[in-house]
Amino acid sequence: MLTQGIAAALPKLKTGEMTDDPEQFAELVREHQAMVFSMACRYLRNRALAEEIAQDVFLQLYRKLPSLESPDHVLHWLRWVTAHRLIDHSRHEKRRPQSPLEDAPEPAAVSAEGADPLLASMLRDLVAALPENARVVMILRYQEDLDPMDIAKALDMPIATVKSHLQRSLALLRDKLSRTKGVGI
Amino acid sequence: MNLDEELRAALRREDPSPGFANRVVARAQAQPAGQPFGFRLFGVRMMWATAIAAMLVLGTSGVFEYRQMEAERASRDAVLALRIAADKLNLARDRVLRRTEN
Repeated sequence: MLTQGIAAALPKLKTGEMTDDPEQFAELVREHQAMVFSMACRYLRNRALAEEIAQDVFLQLYRKLPSLESPDHVLHWLRWVTAHRLIDHSRHEKRRPQSPLEDAPEPAAVSAEGADPLLASMLRDLVAALPENARVVMILRYQEDLDPMDIAKALDMPIATVKSHLQRSLALLRDKLSRTKGVGI
Repeated sequence: MNLDEELRAALRREDPSPGFANRVVARAQAQPAGQPFGFRLFGVRMMWATAIAAMLVLGTSGVFEYRQMEAERASRDAVLALRIAADKLNLARDRVLRRTEN
């Protein structure tokens, strides 16, 4: 998808002139900030940390800009770097406890009537409790609406692995939710 | 309940706090990598040129040093060989002299 901001920035991407023009770069950041920040936020369940990591990703983009050749390249690069930075963060920093979804506490009971904020929050908690790779796959599937093939490309992961992560994660979520009173799936 | 739809709703994108882009730009401009690309490229090229020059200097001086050491060793070996030869000649001369005297 070519939005106006990035399309306007395209002619300058190859020359690196965007790094000389703060407003052009700010426009590019605004273009993608929701995607990068939301991926980090859903993955970490911590807005402050998510913003810090999102800023780091964009600073990396700033240094990388001269070698990125198209808006699609920028988008793909941002997804790839964000996903790997998040996985590395949780593997190496160990700032948040890693616990398997099976050990996650049962979510509070919610009404089964349509979308409700409590259910949404519960789903975000359950997704955030998934193992690193499965979590990123779920975020790319349901936040970015990517199909398994695109997720496999974005993460350099075999498509069978992506599908397996999706199936297992959905089964775990269904299981967790079905144990919760009032939520039928 | 449709789990796919609920997940899409729960995981939909949201914006960071206001002023996020400006904070990123401020950080980008504060770091050395925020210099113009040409300047950075010049810096990278200079770094490579310096590294290659240093390797050439070190390599050349190393070869020169090695050759000098080899020459010194050859000269020491030659002197030793001459001394051994002189000792043998002296020994032979002494024997010849002793036989002629007898």
